Amino acid sequence: MKHNGIFAALFAATLLVGCNQSKTNETGQEGSGKKLVIGATMLSMQNEFIVNVADEMDAKAKELGVELIIVDAERSALKQVEQVESFIGQGVDAIIMNPCEVEASSPAIKLAMDAGIPIINVNSETSAKPTAFVGSDDTESARIAMKYIVEKLGGKGNILMMHGFMGQAAQIKRDNGAKEILKANPGLKLLAEQSGEWDRAKGMSLAENWIQSYGNQINAIFAQNDEMGMGAVKALEAAGLKGKVLVVSVDAIPDALQAVKKGTLDATVFQNAKEQGSKAVETAVKAAKKEKFEQQVLIPFQLVTKENVGEFLK
Amino acid sequence: MNTISSSRFGKLGQYGIFLAFILICIVLALSTPKFFTVSNLLIIGNQVSINALLAFGVTFVIITGGIDLSLGSMVAVTGVVAATFAHPDTFPLLVPLFAGLAAGSAIGAFNGLVITKSKVPPFIVTLGTMTIGRGLALILSKGRPISNLSDAFNFIGGGNVFGIPFPIIILIIAFVICSVILNKTVLGRYMYAVGGNEPAARASGIRVSNVKMWVYTICGLLSALGGILLTSRITTGQPNAGAGFELDAIAAAIIGGTSTSGGTGTMTGTLIGALLIGVISNSLDLLNVTSYYQQVVMGVIIIGAVVLDGLGRKD
Repeated sequence: MKHNGIFAALFAATLLVGCNQSKTNETGQEGSGKKLVIGATMLSMQNEFIVNVADEMDAKAKELGVELIIVDAERSALKQVEQVESFIGQGVDAIIMNPCEVEASSPAIKLAMDAGIPIINVNSETSAKPTAFVGSDDTESARIAMKYIVEKLGGKGNILMMHGFMGQAAQIKRDNGAKEILKANPGLKLLAEQSGEWDRAKGMSLAENWIQSYGNQINAIFAQNDEMGMGAVKALEAAGLKGKVLVVSVDAIPDALQAVKKGTLDATVFQNAKEQGSKAVETAVKAAKKEKFEQQVLIPFQLVTKENVGEFLK
Repeated sequence: MNTISSSRFGKLGQYGIFLAFILICIVLALSTPKFFTVSNLLIIGNQVSINALLAFGVTFVIITGGIDLSLGSMVAVTGVVAATFAHPDTFPLLVPLFAGLAAGSAIGAFNGLVITKSKVPPFIVTLGTMTIGRGLALILSKGRPISNLSDAFNFIGGGNVFGIPFPIIILIIAFVICSVILNKTVLGRYMYAVGGNEPAARASGIRVSNVKMWVYTICGLLSALGGILLTSRITTGQPNAGAGFELDAIAAAIIGGTSTSGGTGTMTGTLIGALLIGVISNSLDLLNVTSYYQQVVMGVIIIGAVVLDGLGRKD
């Protein structure tokens, strides 16, 4: 799988850099003097949420008249650090990083800081402190989801939890948030927890297997992302249990919003990709121009249920 | 002489795997009452079906002495292609099915063509196709899952016929057809001959290139079937679906006694290999074993199977 990643990333990076460079030429003609250049390295352009953040960054950069170079780190922290190095080599005015890993992506922060280039983390964190952070607190998303379950079950019942890829920042934080609420509500019992690797098919298989072991005992399933949550919904529907089991997940991807509208998924937690993308570019531009900026831009999560799903469907 | 003795021991190895499979099932049935129930067995069959289809395909390839690493990417591409044409009230069901199967066969034929014309090892060629396929899936879907598929399409992976999940029916039909191809046709005999001793096969007049074209195309077709099943099962065409599926499929074939040096292997063995993987992953969930341990257990079984196969050969 590693080889695959390397090839694909090289290919994608060439394409992306190529595209953006051609864009420079187009817009460069109308530009007035020196244009700000921002380099951005994203966790994975195979992830719908990240693609949404990147699209919004692109839109915001056009609006502000700055040049934005987006590259894909293909989930490799090593590649990400190398990409930041090459941004520094190109002499960009600011860097936006959507970190792959908490620890392993940290060296990139130090490199940029040493080169005197502002670096903004978007969506997730690194252990090294960047110039600014724009994103949401993942722990909070799980707290919101779990609190909804507590409320719906009246503080009593059996819960199953689907984890993301074990060891990733989002998985650890969503786990912490969920366990915090579970601890505060001893009436809720965690029957089992297992990784569905953020994947819909894996989440579905896991839910099918759980239905075999726990069947009617299950009151709610909390999935750490919508993909797995949607898988759980499919499995419960097939077993004729959907009416009895509450399913709540996180991210509010378009599919999940549709499911909330139909009432098959009970709730999801909306993480604002647009806001994260546009605020990241805004902050980067301010930092590059040495204007005042906030060092911590926290974009709140929102619970999406059947009652308010209309606001999120566009 | 060589091929005769190795195939005899290949059978012995397969017999061993079959016993191991039964033994593991007995242990599991004793350790959790939830295991040996009709509904759980049907679920296992359903979960195994996609991997088994890919494993059948790669068994043909491995028997001829080749390998195909592009299975997982073909699952993604064909799933995305099928999903594109499977929206409700657009095309009749045959269109997405045909488009998906055609895409898979085309990629498989491309693998076969490059391998036979260029003499580049299949490992390298299919490694390249694996990346190209993943890229194509992302390009075709613009990096986003394709949802809102018709009920008819969703029936393929999610429907039941007389209480039996439809994927299991597809699995059984595919198993019968693949077994017939391998055991009862000239093409099947040629596959063993090419994998057993390619120069000898060539000398005896077998058109080796044609045989290879066939196996990679069939492998592409079966991957496409797997891709369509997966897409239908999760009711979305996912460009990042199927990552790593090639490894599970190859593992199933090897556990089932297919030798990576070519010339030996059976569809029954591969089916047992796929069932073994499915049974273990299902029961580790039933027993609530952490996924970390699941990976270790799976790895141990794969190595164990190959060691067993190797021992059989030396004797």
